[in-house]
Amino acid sequence: MGVPPTVTLEEHKISKNVSRCPTVLDEHWTFKTFKKRCRIAIVRYEDYEIEFDFIGIHPAVANTFRRIMISEVPTVAIEKVHVLNNTSIMQDEVLTHRLGLIPLKADPKLFEFKAEVDAEPREQDTLEFELKVKCMYNKDSNKNSSLAEDMYINNYVYSKHIKWKPIGSQKDKFSEENLGPVHDDILITKMIPGQELDLKLFAIKSNGKDHAKFSPVATAFYRMLPEISLVKEVEGEAAERLQKCFSPGVIGLKKDNGRVIAVVNDARYDFSSRNVYRYDDLKDAVVMRKVQDHFIFTIESVGAIKPDDIFREAINILKDKCTSLLQELNSL
Amino acid sequence: MSFFHTKQVISQLADAGTGIDESSKTFVFEDEGHTLGNALRYMIVNNPNVQFCGYTVPHPSESKMHLRIQMFKGRAVDALKKGLEDLVKMCDHSLLVFNEEMSIYKSEHDSKT
Amino acid sequence: MEDCKNLNIFTQESALRHLGSKLVAKRYVTQANKVKTPEDEAIDLLATTILAHVPVDEYNFPTTILAHVPVDEYNFRMKSIYLGVMVKRVIDAETDKKFLDDRDYYGNKRLELAGSLLSLMFEDVFKRFNWELKSIAEKTIPKIRATQFDVVKYMKSDLITKCLVFAISTGNWTIKRFRMERLGVTQVLSRLSYISALGMMTRVNSQFEKTRKVSGPRSLQPSQWGMLCPCDTPEGEACGLVKNLALTTHITTEINDYPLIRLANNSGVQDINMVSADKLHAQGTFMVFLNGNIIGVVENYKRLINIFRTMRRKGYISGYVSIYPSFLHKCIYICSDGGRLCRPYIIVQNSLPLVTDNHMVELEKGIRTFDDFLHDGLIEYLDVNEENDSFIACYERDVTEQTTHLEIAPFTLLGVCAGLIPYPHHNQSPRNTYQCAMGKQAMGTIGYNQKNRMDTLLYNLVYPQCPMVKTKTIELTNFDKLPAGQNATVAVMSYSGYDIEDALIINKASIDRGFGRCLVYKTSKCIMKRYANQTFDRIQGPVIDTVTNQPTWRHTVLDADGIGAPGELVQNKQVLVNKSVPTVSAIPGSTNTTVEYKDVPVGYKNTEPSYIEKVLISTNEEDSTLIKLLLRQTRRPEIGDKFSSRHGQKGVIGLVVEQEDMPFNEHGICPDIIMNPHGFPSRMTVGKLIELLAGKAGLVEGKFHYGTAFEGSKVHDLNEELTRNGFHYEGKDVFYSGITGEILEAYIFSGPVYYQKLKHMVQDKIHARARGPRAVLTRQPTEGRSRDGGLRLGEMERDCLIGYGASMMLVERLMVSSDQCDVDVCNKCGRLAYCGWCNSCKSSGQVSSITMPYASKLLLTELEAMNITARLTLTDYCQ
Repeated sequence: MGVPPTVTLEEHKISKNVSRCPTVLDEHWTFKTFKKRCRIAIVRYEDYEIEFDFIGIHPAVANTFRRIMISEVPTVAIEKVHVLNNTSIMQDEVLTHRLGLIPLKADPKLFEFKAEVDAEPREQDTLEFELKVKCMYNKDSNKNSSLAEDMYINNYVYSKHIKWKPIGSQKDKFSEENLGPVHDDILITKMIPGQELDLKLFAIKSNGKDHAKFSPVATAFYRMLPEISLVKEVEGEAAERLQKCFSPGVIGLKKDNGRVIAVVNDARYDFSSRNVYRYDDLKDAVVMRKVQDHFIFTIESVGAIKPDDIFREAINILKDKCTSLLQELNSL
Repeated sequence: MSFFHTKQVISQLADAGTGIDESSKTFVFEDEGHTLGNALRYMIVNNPNVQFCGYTVPHPSESKMHLRIQMFKGRAVDALKKGLEDLVKMCDHSLLVFNEEMSIYKSEHDSKT
Repeated sequence: MEDCKNLNIFTQESALRHLGSKLVAKRYVTQANKVKTPEDEAIDLLATTILAHVPVDEYNFPTTILAHVPVDEYNFRMKSIYLGVMVKRVIDAETDKKFLDDRDYYGNKRLELAGSLLSLMFEDVFKRFNWELKSIAEKTIPKIRATQFDVVKYMKSDLITKCLVFAISTGNWTIKRFRMERLGVTQVLSRLSYISALGMMTRVNSQFEKTRKVSGPRSLQPSQWGMLCPCDTPEGEACGLVKNLALTTHITTEINDYPLIRLANNSGVQDINMVSADKLHAQGTFMVFLNGNIIGVVENYKRLINIFRTMRRKGYISGYVSIYPSFLHKCIYICSDGGRLCRPYIIVQNSLPLVTDNHMVELEKGIRTFDDFLHDGLIEYLDVNEENDSFIACYERDVTEQTTHLEIAPFTLLGVCAGLIPYPHHNQSPRNTYQCAMGKQAMGTIGYNQKNRMDTLLYNLVYPQCPMVKTKTIELTNFDKLPAGQNATVAVMSYSGYDIEDALIINKASIDRGFGRCLVYKTSKCIMKRYANQTFDRIQGPVIDTVTNQPTWRHTVLDADGIGAPGELVQNKQVLVNKSVPTVSAIPGSTNTTVEYKDVPVGYKNTEPSYIEKVLISTNEEDSTLIKLLLRQTRRPEIGDKFSSRHGQKGVIGLVVEQEDMPFNEHGICPDIIMNPHGFPSRMTVGKLIELLAGKAGLVEGKFHYGTAFEGSKVHDLNEELTRNGFHYEGKDVFYSGITGEILEAYIFSGPVYYQKLKHMVQDKIHARARGPRAVLTRQPTEGRSRDGGLRLGEMERDCLIGYGASMMLVERLMVSSDQCDVDVCNKCGRLAYCGWCNSCKSSGQVSSITMPYASKLLLTELEAMNITARLTLTDYCQ
């Protein structure tokens, strides 16, 4: 395998280190070498977030996955709104724009892309919701309170007020808890008594290229693995200073015969702040590198799809794209 | 759902001879951009038969991608096909590894809790 | 003297006679002044005109003259002393340049406020009213009439109202007495944004001709320090003439001067009428002026000044009275007139400012207000002249033994608009000036009542934000509650080629999520008139198509009442109000029941559709029905829309980029806006760099930083905050290219910067034409975007084509594509023929057809109409 390709974070620029043996950056790609190099390690997995290492791939490929996750993995979002009544102070367009940005729980795999923008909603491609809220005075409330929450009912319209309206046989296919907004407490608008909303919402499937609301991720990104090495021994006050130049946990202090010496604990969580370059005495003690074929991916899901599924979906989309292109090429 | 057609390009290279040269071509991908272009370029460039492969998005407000392949030997289309096949293989393998790792992580994590 | 001798004038009487003879006889001799001799006239003239600063004209009577120097019962002593002082000053100035007054000095200037202007106007109109009444009375009373003369009948009840209304609505301030004729005295308050309204209310217009090329009145005067904003002035012809008040400036109003005279007399001032001439110029005596009038002399001038200042601080006399000595003139000046610029200062006594920390705590608790500081004599207002007699420390640390006052805060020397700029003291000064002009075009919120307003044009931002980097001025003016702009994450880097010349690259996902989204409101108006013949305009419901039983397309948005329904989308050329007007309206009295109507609908003209927000039905001042429709558009930013930071750095969107193409940093942040670094070196807007840094530090710390002028968060502290949170101390992050996926070689300076969306949007300006309407007279394409006009190939462009020799191109541009016209010309007589027939030769024998611009043909026919014949001689084209 040899030495992985790296770049060095210098004070004013990033410079590339020329590797003596072939790396993923310059050798010929073969499936065999790829198989040998490619490793994935899951580091953190939560409801809406995943962090994993993807090792041994070219930045072009890593980036393609990132790009697909952002813009090509489809989700379902509210696209059309029929405003039957809106007496709130919020303009129809602004209200609908806000509604569109609410992440929905629906599984996009179960839906088809809408054939045409203005086509009639069908049960295969559209989810219908309803938002019918009316603000009123709260008659039972504490008369002494002048808080809006006590005085009025429904003065805050939340995403929980959005109700699903099944079309056709959707009632049998889906259940209510698998549809609707991911979060219940997204504030849509505020009202005062006498104002009401009566909206019909139509959600369709599309991808992030079309509009950011269809993107399944809040963000998906990667960074290259940092590699920090101490060239000189740093001790005492300088060591503490050095520790502060990095993100917490990166530099540790080791007690050795009453001396405090700085050691690299875990370079992984350094966010390239490069603050050592502020101190002339520490400048030369540290070398900061980044491994070019080791990508730390972070996928923050917006809630519609599980973060690992987003990644799987991205791979599948790339694959499908290639196979359909191959088909076309062969049929040429 | 991408439309796909090839644009015949008469080679500009001096040693490519005359007429339509199968070894040098520019492919135009409709409705594609850097996402596919860069990955595909990387895969094709790694083919030892390929002399040159590059891609460009000629105008940012047009979603079109031009991919140019010039071969040492063989047909450009074959290199493109191989590139696509390689990409598919890579995707398959990545997915496999990812799923494995995911299940390992999940089983580890479940045992902990 | 010599003149007097030559004219043989040795007595007062002969002098008056001489003056009287020089007087132009009054144009209009009334009974009252008919009997006057030339001598009396001359005395009147002296009493009223000389040094009166108010010329006499026909409405004025000598006794009512507001002479600047009072003359009681033809006692000219005051006037002669004043004249003497004037002559002395003139002689002094002749020998010594320092006696010359500086006309640009702000102590010598007075601002006119609405009140004083209105009172002038009223006085003028009232005098005219009286004079007119009097002349009518003088004409009518001598005639013998049956009924008794009734004054009330001849009073024009609405003269004063009409004149005032006219003056205020047009802004033409014509005051005959001063031969004053000013335009633009009143202006319509701009409500484009909150800042534009505030900025307009602090505006000061100079009474100086804009066309004159003198630098004096335009240049920054040292005496305007703290009174007028040094940044906020427009560029171009009004540069330096239109100014803006600084934050704490107050303009005085007139104060009764009688108590001041009494106070002065009680403080050792000897009445000028009691003083002998030698005492006037004696060593150690100072002449005392009150509002430009000599009131007396004083020996102990320090005591006088001290008494006045103490009385002012104690509140016995108005806080806006100023007193200051001039050692050059050996004078004490007391001012209580209106229009002086003044601003508050903290009083310093015995090297200690009177305002202590205790007071500040009370202020914070709300126990104390600013007025209390004035009442307690801790703070006082100084005008420009008294400011120059004071020793003012800028900061508390600069207070020395001689210090008399302390600045409240240095940033108050800037105005409202300049106060929005963070770190303006780090910017090149013209950049601050540019921002002052641009802040007024920024859209955002305009007021809490913006939803209830019906402006002809109103811009709103959908999601306005309070700036990350605030200033004290922003808080004082409540800009943080009515903001105009959004905090954009900016990366300073080069990206593609679409960012040259200040163009911005903008993230499409940010736009999708609401960045720079704005609402544009426009109002359509319609008045329903009543006519003399009992007919009136009417509105009818929509026309129903007989086939589909639906309203016709043009009437789809109409409600049953014929007015557009709120919430409807109106397309181009649809009807907003289906109004029709009676065809016959002129003949009064004819009450024919069958009135014919002509459709005059209020249409919607815009290629982009609008929504109807609301409809207002009211009446105007003539009691006719007024219908207003508020139309709304929501616009998302597009290529060509103008944005600006708060540092005079404007730019248009050059490219909208997908989020995945945007570079991203190690935290997964990708910028909303990419700005080209070439914008910095030549502009030297260091303030923007610090704003970015302060914004970023504020983000990671979860607080707002201050970028107040001459203070604000220090860069060093910002560096520390960034370091503490694991960011690079200079705000430069590692970025990855979104296109290739590789790490970028350079570190990218990135962070939040407050961006304003300016009102200039492509949608309102985009224009192209292939074919289109032509002007009737010349048959040339119409002009202007609103008429779908052509784009003119102007003189200079024409010159280029001539220089290049592109003759066919010239023909094509100037004739074929413009007003090409085939005309028949008679070869025999050289005049125009029609349809192959020459009307003057009565033959069709030698008529040939040529092509020429219609404008030329028009010229020929017009000349013929004037009895001038232009004859054309045709030669063969091939020769």
